[in-house]
Amino acid sequence: MQKIDPILVSVIDNRFSSICNEIGQTMLRTSRSPIFSEARDFVSAIFDRRCRLIAQKDYVPVLSGAAPFALKAIAEHFEGRIYPGDIYVLNDPYRGNNHPPDVTVVKPVFYQDQLIFWTMAKGHLADVGGGGVVGYNPEATDAWTDAIRIPPVKLYERGVKQQDVWDLIMINVHIPFLVEGDLNCEIGACTVGERSLIALTEKYGIETLETAIDEIFQAYENKMRAEIKKIPNGTYYAESKIDNDGIDKDRMVTVRLTLTVEDEDVKYDYSASDNQVKGFINSTYPNTVSSSLISLFTTIENKVKINEGSLRPVTVIAPEGSLLNPLEPAPTTACTVITTEAIVGAGWFALAEAVPHLSQANWNHWAAPASGGLNPRTGKFFGDIHFMSKGGGGATQGFDGWDHMGTVCTLGGLRSPDPELHELINPYLILNYELLPDFAGPGQWRGGNGMHYKWKVLADNVAFAMFGSGIREETAPFGLMGGKAAPCTSQYLIKNTGEKVWLDVNRFVHCEKGEIIEILSSGGGGFGDPSKRPQELVLEDVLNGVVGVTAAQEQYGVVIQPSTMTIDQEETNRLRGGYRA
Amino acid sequence: MSYKIGIDVGGTFTDFLLVDADGTSEVFKVPTTPADPSIGVFRGLEAMAAAKSVELTQFLARVRTIVHGTTITTNAVLTGRGAKTGFLTTKGFRDALNLRRGLKEEQYETKYAPPTPLVPRRLIQVVEERVDCEGKELAPLNEEDLKNAVAKFKEEQIQSLGISFLFSFFNSEHEQQAARYIEQELPGVYISASSDILPQIRLYERCSTVALNAFVGPILKNYLESLLSKLGSVGFNGTLLIMQSNGGVMAPESTIRFAANTLLSGPAGAPAAGVYHGRAHDLSNIITVDMGGTSFDACLIKNGEATITTEASIARHRLATPVIDIHTIGAGGGSIAWIDTGGMLQVGPQSAGADPGPVCYGLGGEEPTVTDADLLLGYLEPGYFHGGQMKLDYEKATRIMEEKIAKPLGISVIDAAYGIYRVINSKMAAGLSEISVGRGYDPREFALMVAGGAGPIHAGMIANELDIPMIIVPRGSSVFCASGMVMSDLRHDYVRTCTSAVDGVDVNHLNSLLGQMEKEARETLASENIRPEQIVINYSADLRYEGQFNEVEVSINGKLKPEDINTLVADFDKKHDTLFGYALAGTPAEIINLRLSARGITEKPETPKAVWCGENPEAAFKKERKAYFNGSFTDVPVYDGLLMGYGNQVSGPAIIEEPTTTIIVTPEFELVCDRFNNYVLYPKGADLDELINKLKTVG
Repeated sequence: MQKIDPILVSVIDNRFSSICNEIGQTMLRTSRSPIFSEARDFVSAIFDRRCRLIAQKDYVPVLSGAAPFALKAIAEHFEGRIYPGDIYVLNDPYRGNNHPPDVTVVKPVFYQDQLIFWTMAKGHLADVGGGGVVGYNPEATDAWTDAIRIPPVKLYERGVKQQDVWDLIMINVHIPFLVEGDLNCEIGACTVGERSLIALTEKYGIETLETAIDEIFQAYENKMRAEIKKIPNGTYYAESKIDNDGIDKDRMVTVRLTLTVEDEDVKYDYSASDNQVKGFINSTYPNTVSSSLISLFTTIENKVKINEGSLRPVTVIAPEGSLLNPLEPAPTTACTVITTEAIVGAGWFALAEAVPHLSQANWNHWAAPASGGLNPRTGKFFGDIHFMSKGGGGATQGFDGWDHMGTVCTLGGLRSPDPELHELINPYLILNYELLPDFAGPGQWRGGNGMHYKWKVLADNVAFAMFGSGIREETAPFGLMGGKAAPCTSQYLIKNTGEKVWLDVNRFVHCEKGEIIEILSSGGGGFGDPSKRPQELVLEDVLNGVVGVTAAQEQYGVVIQPSTMTIDQEETNRLRGGYRA
Repeated sequence: MSYKIGIDVGGTFTDFLLVDADGTSEVFKVPTTPADPSIGVFRGLEAMAAAKSVELTQFLARVRTIVHGTTITTNAVLTGRGAKTGFLTTKGFRDALNLRRGLKEEQYETKYAPPTPLVPRRLIQVVEERVDCEGKELAPLNEEDLKNAVAKFKEEQIQSLGISFLFSFFNSEHEQQAARYIEQELPGVYISASSDILPQIRLYERCSTVALNAFVGPILKNYLESLLSKLGSVGFNGTLLIMQSNGGVMAPESTIRFAANTLLSGPAGAPAAGVYHGRAHDLSNIITVDMGGTSFDACLIKNGEATITTEASIARHRLATPVIDIHTIGAGGGSIAWIDTGGMLQVGPQSAGADPGPVCYGLGGEEPTVTDADLLLGYLEPGYFHGGQMKLDYEKATRIMEEKIAKPLGISVIDAAYGIYRVINSKMAAGLSEISVGRGYDPREFALMVAGGAGPIHAGMIANELDIPMIIVPRGSSVFCASGMVMSDLRHDYVRTCTSAVDGVDVNHLNSLLGQMEKEARETLASENIRPEQIVINYSADLRYEGQFNEVEVSINGKLKPEDINTLVADFDKKHDTLFGYALAGTPAEIINLRLSARGITEKPETPKAVWCGENPEAAFKKERKAYFNGSFTDVPVYDGLLMGYGNQVSGPAIIEEPTTTIIVTPEFELVCDRFNNYVLYPKGADLDELINKLKTVG
């Protein structure tokens, strides 16, 4: 391979990233599913002809590490039958996909009859059939009750729409118009990427681009190795728990991680984790890898983009038949949220032993429903996930956790729905969408605040698939370095009789008109000793109504006179044992 | 003799363009006075009076129009020093404003915080009231809650208040009722209600826009009122117009109500200048580029219209009013070059700014920048920077370049400098690609109009990368925005949310919403002394396929007839395909918003035509200088731009020096000075007339 000048490599690297943004923008702007366009639950990516990940735009990071697996599966399946104008689709977790709702659409890019690149759009469809709601079936016990299974198939061959395949998919989903719209949106996005990649190839020629790609990978590998080198060598252990798998309600499930850092390499070994379970939280190997990357790529000091090169120093071990690499046909739908949270939590906790100043306390765990049914006002079927319940992010040294971040699988890239559009489409009346005081983990830097989300159901027969974890004390978001855990989340159904029922996670609830669902969603964990939090910040939190006067005193040792809302310095000094910030 | 003046208050300089009745223009520049920008404005006015050898009062008596671009609101938001602002919203939604829809922009970064709220939580009060998604009242406005909120605002002594209730764009009664009550209870407080500012769906976006309006309103009000009275006291009785972020201008009275409309007005003059200079060659498809010290602003103009977006933000706060879609990237003369841990050369986004500035300024800068690279490559003359006002330190620039870039990469200093030049150019080209290719436009069908101190040094190579066939560098391009202001029309944008399926849509209802907006528009323009025949109104609708969450704006006729709906949908399908690579013709579509933009056409200065000076540029020839082209240093001719005139022809490689900018004619290009005294660059061997004809006829 002939080396090209290092400057051209930077030039081409810039261009690849900008093309991924273009693909992402198309997804964002044209989707018909609130889960794409409002919540941005998708990834766009480009690969070289050898299926190596060049660049990606990951609004929801848990999808990004999984993308290469899906492409490789498709490319291998169609080897010898890949033509210009083809478009492929895949969702089956045992054929390379991470979990069924994240439907992968891929387009091979040809230049002068030669395959040069692949463009991919991959995102969470509003409906993937099966026995669930918006893809979530807490009662699923296998891959068929989970969702429709789509192995690698062609949506288009040589530019011709394969209507039979479309018909077969559409009859197996509940809301075909949403599914068809979103497949088209993914195809459009791939086409926009193709347009730009061809222009780039016209400009530089295939050979130059291929050499540049190798150089880009080498540069990112070097960057990543330099960052890993800053983490002290050693073996670090952590475990984290999940409330239940939906089937065995009283059994917690455990992820156990042995993390080894050796010079410039990192190994995530999950061999000690639980075996695969009956319910829908089994994590496919691509999802396990992707989730591991979240903890690593957020913790390294200088951030590095994810591509083929930066992934080279990372190894992930998960034995077949285990929770984190299940055998067909175990159900998997909830893995990208519930199990990912446990994997990331274990990763951050283990890394905190090595580099506490770079790690972070845990985030709010997802515990809220996906729902669907018929909206009598519009006469349409709807499907949505209740993202407005997203709680607080975890604190890190130097910074409080962010509010309303929600599940770590998104790292804050998931945009909450607009309440007004939400009410126009869904038969809901939102009663409360506000921060929840005293629901974050106290610390020198406190966790992001909790959320109080409550809504009334305005239609009969609306199905809620409650899914998640973090509603038991053992699974509340942990604190670090003396920072405290946040309280656990609670969810309630308020019946038309006025009776208020505590709801477990991972079950169905069928609501009648007039009933209310209420979620008290936890904040994030705190970082560092709360008694070291500057008094004026504690006072500000009290004035802003996110920390109560009692909590200020009990958790932070700051005594506030309720009549004047000022700090009682003497009492505070006494409580804080002379510490004065 | 009567004058028109454009005044652009920038970060470092306040630019003035003085245009007289026959179109002759003069450029003035004074240092900006950040504490009170009107001091700089008056210094400039005095300088102009002096140049005309008259007293300020005599001078101002002859000024018919002043168009003023101010960044006073922009700076208030960027520095967080706005008015003490309160906010009132529907009970249960206290945090909709500050939650920002739960987004973290840089997801993998852990060491940074959300933006400081415009309104801290304790100043956000809620009242019980509720309107549903069809505009029906579910709960009346709770007067007790309202009283308590007002008591709190009084106690906190707020200066300004934003009000935004759920679904107030369908039913504004509660909001207006609250606003009227508070006006009485809190006299002197600046009040913005969302149903006045932006009656449009999407709660956070609306709240954020209203909060921004309230945050900067009192500041703009004080500034403009004091400026008006000062101008009046020295004899000005012409019209003062204020530049808006949508590329239009407005009278001070409306500007004060819609203060947020000035937030992104800084670069908004550029497109008008682009349209104006393009028109000189009958070109209406133009990409304007303004490259200064820290940023690179690009804007795409199609068919003489700049693209408008409603997705802007400022200091990470969303601004949902229509603004000119200006794509800004952190690339300028001050952008710092560095080697990342993977051994790749990176340029920006960090900038050395003006202070310490590039290494070669000798003001203490220790990081190699784009300007340093330009100097080492021979593109800048060490002794003629800013017309000779600043000497550049060549030795130090060489030393730092060696130390920080060349050595670590194992390449020569010149290769390092040329590397920086290429990387920054490719970044800018990528930016232009995003606003053209990324939105379905072919950059080869556009002319590139380049302004700003650093722009014309880099334009040739950027144009080359995207195969853009023609570059225009307007004379006085360093006051590009000020010149655009002089060309801008009055403009007011209106929106009404209607959310209706296209099938069976009530055309009468649409017409009545359009009529409401039109009435408001005509009244406002009349109050700005615009005669009916000067008014141009454009109507449009935001459409989407049923179930989508984002809309595509499609233009419509003023009064809709039932049969117009089919055309509307066909136009929508077509635009959707251009933008996003597909259309879903035949599937149900919805109309979400109706929009109206009303313009009061102002008189434009004449374009003065220059005198033919012949092709030969030798009168402007200064000397030869070594500069780096195609892999080696060659002697290239340097011309004095001030001495060049209509008809002068220069073949690349060559350099044209103007006091505030340098034009690099790369070896691929030919440069000609056109009859408006602007520079036009085009590929060697091409026929310019043919080229212009081709660019004229595209789409």
